[in-house]
Amino acid sequence: MPNYTARDILDNPLNTLRLQGYVGKILRIKLTEQTTEIVSTYDYVPKYLGGRELCNKIFWDEVPAGTDCFDPGNKLIYMTGATTATGVPTGGRTEMTGIAANNLPTQYSFSGIGGWIGAEFKFAGYDGIIIEGKAPEHTYVVIDDDKVEFKSADELWGLKVHDTQKALIDMHGVDFKCMVIGPAGEHLVRNASITTSNDNVMAKSGFGAVFGSKNLKAIICRGTGVVPVADVKKVLELRLEMGSPFMRPSPVQPQDRQGLPGSDAKGEWVRGNISCSYGCNQHCNCLMMGTNSVFTDEKINHVEKCVSPFAYGFVTDVPNNMAANWMTKQNHMQPCKLLSREFPAPDPTDPYFEEINKPILPDVFDFWKPDFEKGNLINELCNEYGIDKWDMIIWILPWFAMGQKEGVFDDMDLGMPVDVESSEFVSAIIEQMVYRSSEMGNLLAEGMARATRALGKEKFADTIYHGRRSQMLPGSPQVDLPISMETAWGHSFHWQGRGFEASISKPTWLATTIELMTSSRDMQTIEHHHDQYEKYLEIVADPYNSQVLVDSIIMNEQKGEMKDSVTCCDWQSPDLWWTSMEAEMYAAATGYPMTEQELAQSADRSKLLYRAILIRNFNRDRDMEVGAVWPGICIPDSWGEVADWDGFNKLVDRYYETRGWDKATSWPYRETWEKYGLGDIADEMEQIGKLPLRP
Amino acid sequence: MEEIKTGFGNHVVQYSAEYSFCAGCNSCEAICGLVHDAVVSPSYSRLFVKRGGTRDMVCHIVSCQHCLDHPCYESCPKQGEAMCIDENGIVYVDEEACIGCGKCVSACKFDPPRINMAKGEKKKFWKAKKCDLCRTRPEGPACVEYCPVRCLGLDTAAQGDVKDPEVTEKLVLNTSVGGVDFA
Repeated sequence: MPNYTARDILDNPLNTLRLQGYVGKILRIKLTEQTTEIVSTYDYVPKYLGGRELCNKIFWDEVPAGTDCFDPGNKLIYMTGATTATGVPTGGRTEMTGIAANNLPTQYSFSGIGGWIGAEFKFAGYDGIIIEGKAPEHTYVVIDDDKVEFKSADELWGLKVHDTQKALIDMHGVDFKCMVIGPAGEHLVRNASITTSNDNVMAKSGFGAVFGSKNLKAIICRGTGVVPVADVKKVLELRLEMGSPFMRPSPVQPQDRQGLPGSDAKGEWVRGNISCSYGCNQHCNCLMMGTNSVFTDEKINHVEKCVSPFAYGFVTDVPNNMAANWMTKQNHMQPCKLLSREFPAPDPTDPYFEEINKPILPDVFDFWKPDFEKGNLINELCNEYGIDKWDMIIWILPWFAMGQKEGVFDDMDLGMPVDVESSEFVSAIIEQMVYRSSEMGNLLAEGMARATRALGKEKFADTIYHGRRSQMLPGSPQVDLPISMETAWGHSFHWQGRGFEASISKPTWLATTIELMTSSRDMQTIEHHHDQYEKYLEIVADPYNSQVLVDSIIMNEQKGEMKDSVTCCDWQSPDLWWTSMEAEMYAAATGYPMTEQELAQSADRSKLLYRAILIRNFNRDRDMEVGAVWPGICIPDSWGEVADWDGFNKLVDRYYETRGWDKATSWPYRETWEKYGLGDIADEMEQIGKLPLRP
Repeated sequence: MEEIKTGFGNHVVQYSAEYSFCAGCNSCEAICGLVHDAVVSPSYSRLFVKRGGTRDMVCHIVSCQHCLDHPCYESCPKQGEAMCIDENGIVYVDEEACIGCGKCVSACKFDPPRINMAKGEKKKFWKAKKCDLCRTRPEGPACVEYCPVRCLGLDTAAQGDVKDPEVTEKLVLNTSVGGVDFA
C-alpha cells in the first residue's frame, strides 16, 4: 500500500522548488553487499533534468577511468523523466546508461526503453535506480514500494525472456512489472538486450550482457504511490496536441502478408496497434497476433516495430523520399504516424509538394526472399533469447547472405551450409551465438565488429558484395558495399547513406555522420535527422561549408538529449513547427517554468557531460572521432557519391567551433564548460591535461 | 417491501476489438487520477487496465458497473455522507466524510473489486476511490474523452428503458477475428 502522498513530495524539505513530476528518490542497488541506499533526486534536479542527463551526471561523478563493461565497478544507471507517469504523452520512455558491452572500442553509452516499468518505479517512489557491484550468486531484485529484497535467481537462470516474465508473475503476481534478461545476457552476448513488458527492449548497448556479468537476471517492481502533476489542464491539452493523435477507433485488422513492399511475405495474422509505454497518446507498435511459435504448438502474439518487417523478406532497402528527413510546414508528420498507418491527408498546394514526395527508390540487396514463417522465427528467437533484433536482422544475417554469395565461407566448416534462406540455418546460428556453443557462435557473441576482426577483417569485413544495386542510377548498376556493413563504434549503418537505409541525400548522411561521430553508438534511434526543407535548399549546394547544416546537426543533437532526459520519444519529437513542445511537457509535469532556451541549454549540458565521460574515461579526441566515421562515408551512396576528405574536415572544424570545442583535439574550452555550469569538469580536465587553450 | 433492482446503470465499457482495439496505453488510468486528484497513481485510478499474459499482451479494461442495487452504498456505515447517490442515480464518494473502512470494497460484486483505496493527504484515513462517471465534468467521463483509440464508451443500454443502438452495436461485434479470440 502507498506509504506517501503528493503532499509528502511537495513538503519534502529537500524539494526547495516544490517540484512536481519527480517523486524525490533514487534507489542505489548494491549487488555485492545486497544492500540499498537512497539518494535524493533533489541533489540533481532541475539542473540535471532527469533521464539521460541525470545518468550522465551520476556516471561522471561515480565511475572512474579504467573501468570496463564487465567490471563490477561498471554502474548501470536507469532514470525515468519528470514526465514519466504524469499523463504527458511519451513520458513513459526511460533511459539506461553505463559502459556498454556492444561498442568497439568499449565506451560509455546509453539505451532507451518503454513499457510500464518506468512508471512503476515512480509509483514505488523512485525516479531511478543505480545498479552497482556484482551479486555473489544469480539474483533478482524485488522492489515492492519501499521494501527491497535480493532473491536467488537459480530457478530463473536459463529461462527465456517470456518464461522468465511468466515465472516472476506466477511467484509475485501480475501487479509487478519487470525488466529481465534472456539466455543471451546470461552468456554475456554483447548485443544482449533487457526486456520489459510488450516486448519492449533496451538493446543498443548490450546492457543485457552487463546484467549477466553482474549475476542479475531481473528487477521487478510494484508501486502504489503517487506522481503529483503540476498543471493538469496543460497535460490534457498536450494529449490532444502532441503528434496530432487521431482519436479515432483502431480496430484489429486481419492481414495476409507482412514485410515491406517488394519484400513482403504471404501469411495470415491479425494486426493490433498498441502503445509502447505508459501514458502515450499514440499506438505505433504492431501487435502481431495469431502467429506460429517456434517453441510451442500454440498461437502467440508478439510486438514488432520498425526493423522487424525485414525479417520477413529482405530483397530491397527502404523506399524513401525527401520528406522523411526534410519537411515543410504544410506536409509534415510525426514518425509514429508511419507505423500506425494513420497518415494525415497530404496537402498538394504545398509549393514543394512534388519535390519532397518524389519517390527515392531503394537499393536492391537481395539478402533473402520473402518467407513468413522464417520471419516469425527470427523475431521470436530475438524476443525470447533477448538479443538486439537490429543486429540480427540488419547486420548478422545480411553478413551471412553477402558472405555466402561472395564465397568467403567456402573454406569454413560450420557444420551446416551457410544459407540464410533456410530456417534451420538461421535457428541454429542464433542458438549457437546465444549459447556460445560453436566457434562461429562464440565469435558472433562478441559482436560483429569483433567477430570480423577475429576472423580476418580483409576477407570477412572488407570483401565487396556484388549484389547491391542502385535504382537511382541509370541501368541499376552495382555499387560497392563491404560485407561488414560496419560504420563507427562497432555499430552498423543506419540512415547513413549506405548499408541499411542507404537512399538518403548527401547533406543528410553528412549530418547523421557527424551525429554518429560525437556519439559512442548508432544515434539514429534517438536522433533520426529531421529539419525544414527550406534549410535543405540552403545546404545542398555546398554542405561542407554550410553553417545551416551545422546548426541543423546541433538542433537534432539537442532534441536527442531532450528526448532522453525530459523524457519523450524519438517518434514524436522534434515537432519542427512546435519547437517549445518538450519545454512545455516538462513544465506541465513539474511546475518549473522551463523555457525553450533553458531546455536547449540543459540538452547541451547533457551532451557535455557525455563528452566529458568519453574524453576522461575513454580518451576521445578528434583523431579517434574522424577516424571512426571516415571509412564508412568512403563507400558510395545510392548515387555513387562519397565524402571528400578536405570538405568533411572543414565541416568537422565548423561543427567543433560552433560547439565551443577546440577543433584540433575536439575538447571543449574552459569557457564552454563554465557556460553550462560545469566548471568542476573544466578543473578536472585541466588536471588531466585535456583542457585546451584557445589559439 | 421495496423491490431490489438488479442490473447495471450507465457505466464505462470497453468496445470490442473489432470496433477498436485497446492500445494498452494506460491513458484512461492516468487521466482518471489527474482529473480527480491531480496525481497519477494505480491507487487513485477508478478503472483498471488488466493486461494479458506475457505472450498475449491483449488488454481488458474494467470499471465500476454502477450496479442498480449498489451494494457498496448499502454497506457504507456513513451512507448518505461518505457514499452518496446523486440526482442522476450515480453512486459517488465524498472523501471528506469517508473513514476508509473498506466495507464498500468488500461489498463490490466484482473480482477484482472496482473500488480503489488510497491514503488521503492527512494519511490518517484511507479513502475509497470509486468511478463517479466524472459527474461534475460537463464533458462526461474523462477516460472516454481522452482514450486515443476510442475503445471506451458509456453503456446506456443497461438502463432498461433507454437503449443506445450505437453502443450496443459496438459491444456485440464478433470477439474472434482472424482466428484470434479477444473475449
